[in-house]
Amino acid sequence: MISKIKNDFLIPATLVFIILALLPLIGAPRSWVLYVFLFFIYLAMANMWNLLAGYSGLISLCQPAFLGLAGYTMAIGTWVGVPWWIGIIGGAIIAALFALLISGAVFRLSGIYFAIGTLVVPEAIRMVFYLWKPVGGAMHGAGAGYMIKGIEGVSQHAIFWLAAVVGIGSVYLMRFIIKSKLGLGLASIRDNQRTAASIGVNVFRVKLYTFLISAFVTGVAGAIYYLNQGYIEPSATFNVRWTMVMLLATVIGGIRTEQGPIIGTIIVVILYFALARYAGYSFLIQGIILIVIMLLSPQGIMGIIKRLFSRKGVKN
Amino acid sequence: MNDIITPIIMGIMLGGLYALIALGLSLLFGVMRLINLAHGDFVVLGSYLAYGIATYLGLDPILSLIIIVPVMFGLGFLIQKYIMSRAFAVSSDTPLIIAFGISLIIQNANQIAWTPLSRGLNTGYSHASFFLGSLQFPVIYLLDLIAGIVVMLLLREFLTRTYLGRAITAASQDKRAAELMGINAKRVYGYAFAIAMAFAGIGGVFLGMTFPFTPTSGISFLTIAFGTVIIGGLGSMWGTFLGGIILGLVQTLGGYFFGPASQMLIVYVIVLVILAIRPQGLFGR
Repeated sequence: MISKIKNDFLIPATLVFIILALLPLIGAPRSWVLYVFLFFIYLAMANMWNLLAGYSGLISLCQPAFLGLAGYTMAIGTWVGVPWWIGIIGGAIIAALFALLISGAVFRLSGIYFAIGTLVVPEAIRMVFYLWKPVGGAMHGAGAGYMIKGIEGVSQHAIFWLAAVVGIGSVYLMRFIIKSKLGLGLASIRDNQRTAASIGVNVFRVKLYTFLISAFVTGVAGAIYYLNQGYIEPSATFNVRWTMVMLLATVIGGIRTEQGPIIGTIIVVILYFALARYAGYSFLIQGIILIVIMLLSPQGIMGIIKRLFSRKGVKN
Repeated sequence: MNDIITPIIMGIMLGGLYALIALGLSLLFGVMRLINLAHGDFVVLGSYLAYGIATYLGLDPILSLIIIVPVMFGLGFLIQKYIMSRAFAVSSDTPLIIAFGISLIIQNANQIAWTPLSRGLNTGYSHASFFLGSLQFPVIYLLDLIAGIVVMLLLREFLTRTYLGRAITAASQDKRAAELMGINAKRVYGYAFAIAMAFAGIGGVFLGMTFPFTPTSGISFLTIAFGTVIIGGLGSMWGTFLGGIILGLVQTLGGYFFGPASQMLIVYVIVLVILAIRPQGLFGR
């Protein structure tokens, strides 16, 4: 029963995604379109966090660094004449290169050390972007903000569909990774790192690949987000708020499950929609939800569903 | 020449404060293998409590410790008893994620209660200074150093001379053996968390007198505390003190050479570099 759900969810999920992606064409309200846009962006990011924390055992708290670096690369690129779409790819490559750069340092750390080492990274980068203004230009917001130049001709619909492609793509990417040799390596490391290493799994390389993939895709999603926003500035970009979104979506839905981030992201977006008026309390509420879920159902909603089905299975 | 002596002496005095902030983190890591991601926010909570007490009761920040220490102690005990102890039972990653959640809750609560504006603890002696030779230093920095030393000595006496202190030491060395000797590990953990939080409160009060703080300052204080622990190596109290002094020097000398705007960036980079080169700490084995 469980395996059947696992095999089948991709098709109905894709259908729902495609219907969502058609929303702008049927004249849905702008706010709806925005929330669905956020859903696709968050979904890609949550999937990538799940890949790290759930499948690779890397509790990464430096995802804002990846999405911010990609966003800044794209924004600064538009100031020196690089088209935005090259900027998105270039930004994601910069994010992946940065992941490679810090991997030497943070991969020497395990568990909690990794988490705290990665926590410091976005803070440091934020300061760099407060102090460093690579190209001159108009300031926007606090600190060294940049407008994204030359995107007047880009339609909002195009950006929305770009987000949809990345969001849906991330779900398929997860399936692809899990079914691939890399996924096999991850599963063996998860079960027993020492055994995996002794039978020839290169633990460092497997973890590095997932780290780079995660940085790249998070970078793409981040750059698209800032393309839609039209400007970027350090304090909201290299912000723990992003980490909270990915963490909450993954934990609510069910960490280390393929469906978890999808379910979780839907709930997180609905939560944001419902709590828009109480934005000042947002971390308080999210923090409480996070703790309650972690304590009551560490496997999130997918954990509850699985338990229900396995109980039925026993009865039958 | 005198120019550079000033930041050096300031850095050493700051070291006392940083050791004070790091003690709670170090204690918790030693006892429970937990790096408390919320530690920096506990420190800021201490600063805000002192700010609130000074605003509404007009009490001097150092005197307000009479209220802050028991409040933080109690809060710590409750967090361990009702949240953390359960988190440890779930999986090894759970306490980390929950500490992250607690950190954001405290951040948000501070923001709601005190607005996101930058605050500071101002007292009659805030701007007082003393002289060493011809050089002038703020009195607050001297108080930081004294507080750091006093609290460290108190902790050492507590850990070696009282039953609870010895139980904490025993549980941190070998939990199972300690339990076999009849030590109630759950209670010990509760007290260890409570003590760590009380230390964070003390650290917060002195920190608030030294630097301005905002609800989101927690992460820089966590980094400083973590850097101090990492540099000093775990378990060694004098190592922690030395780690604090090194980080204090990094900050003041970084400010001296590269300007005050980048001094925290230099601290971050140094912490990351040390993590990369020697994650077991400069003086760790």
